Amino acid sequence: MNLLITSAASATAQLVAGALSGAHTLRLTDLPENASGNIVPNELNHDADTDELVADIDVIINIGYQGQTGSNTHLMDYHTRRMYNLLQAASDAGVPRYVNVSTLRVFEDHEENLVVTEKWRSDPSAEDIEILTAHMAEYVCKEFARDRLIKVANLRLGWPFIGDGSGNPEDTAAVSHGMIGASIQEALVSEELIQWQDIHIQSYVEHQRFITKTAERLLPGLAGRLSL
Amino acid sequence: MKILILGGNGMLGPWAVKAMKDRHDILLTDINDPYPDYEGRFQKLSADDVDGVVKAAEGMDMIVNLSVIRPHRQLAFDVNTMGNYAMMVAAREHRITRVITTGPHFQMVGQQYEEWDFDLTPDMPPAPGTRLYAHTKALGQEICRVFSERYGIQVITLLYYNMKHSWNLGGPEAPVVYHEDMVPFSTAWQDCGTAVQAAVEVSEERLASKNEAFFIFPDLPHRKHDNEKTRRVLGWKPRYQVEGLWNKEYRKPGSNLTEAF
Repeated sequence: MNLLITSAASATAQLVAGALSGAHTLRLTDLPENASGNIVPNELNHDADTDELVADIDVIINIGYQGQTGSNTHLMDYHTRRMYNLLQAASDAGVPRYVNVSTLRVFEDHEENLVVTEKWRSDPSAEDIEILTAHMAEYVCKEFARDRLIKVANLRLGWPFIGDGSGNPEDTAAVSHGMIGASIQEALVSEELIQWQDIHIQSYVEHQRFITKTAERLLPGLAGRLSL
Repeated sequence: MKILILGGNGMLGPWAVKAMKDRHDILLTDINDPYPDYEGRFQKLSADDVDGVVKAAEGMDMIVNLSVIRPHRQLAFDVNTMGNYAMMVAAREHRITRVITTGPHFQMVGQQYEEWDFDLTPDMPPAPGTRLYAHTKALGQEICRVFSERYGIQVITLLYYNMKHSWNLGGPEAPVVYHEDMVPFSTAWQDCGTAVQAAVEVSEERLASKNEAFFIFPDLPHRKHDNEKTRRVLGWKPRYQVEGLWNKEYRKPGSNLTEAF
């Protein structure tokens, strides 16, 4: 498949690209101030450059959390206006699927004893601009799905990201690097997804904080990989 | 009450100012100069200038955001989305307990509602879709909601659609057409302004939550949308029923009513 990965200079995007590069053709992009090497610089503005960026792409993988750094207003602008531009260009070009890589930290203020699933309303922080803007990016994506312009899989990843087999008992929402790559790989091809699909992703750990039944059901290729 | 108005020199601003200028201490802001007959305080300020809005909000009791940009993509996000972010940051910084934001009804009533249903109320989950104006305003409303839940700031969202001149029922963008299929969410400009006053002055006890939305339109017979909550909670009483648009028997008096304004 031809995949476009945004915020490609970020650690998350590098991890994702590393997991997918062997099986897919990757186009990496980031804002010009971040782009180097094989990363295509693009402002994600409403222009022909963005149209060109999404041409012939099968799935866009958007890093919706911690893909960018900068001021609060930059992050708000990136995760609202620039996401809108990207999604509009993708819709116009007929890109069928969009994987938004978000975070389970939109639920981090829920107490750990609660059985939080995709059916719970998120409760993003207003203090942490990265969490707030991750939520705003989800909002933009959802409206494109609502209008049936593109199918969106919204993967909310646990935290922290950890190397396989290196979990800390206190990290009850941890997700392994292998799990991240595998879940995105599955989200590219799953035929079980509806137009807008939240999926919570974390590894099996002791006192696991978030339920991952939806991931098990919709991303069957993950079977056996949820453990650290 | 000391009120900071953002985007106060657009189409709605003058009507809101007219309704409130003798009752409140207003600091009017906009990127454009005020109307020539405006005599109050004015500061040139863009609603998306977060630092500027924070500074202007110092000492205020309330912020009213009337700013709107529709067709231009960059500016629509700057004003409609970032403008509300700026307002909420300012409210948080200065512990301002109430903000009022405005927008088009379809930032809540998207096509999935409007093309299917009736008796639509302002308490439905927003479903704006991807139309630029609705989408950018809905993002702004969502920012308000998150800040409201986190900081207990009272957010009142006033939703409008089709504004009309009371004297001939024309609008700013199109000539009046009588006795045809009207927009069933049409409101006279004067009443749009007094709705802002009502939102400013409504007591907290009357508001069911910290985040309340209201449809601003008079009693229309279509039953497409429902204004009951607006009348009941805000105590808003529209003077004009825009009857000439929906009643074939409506007749204009010889005086044309224009002397009332």
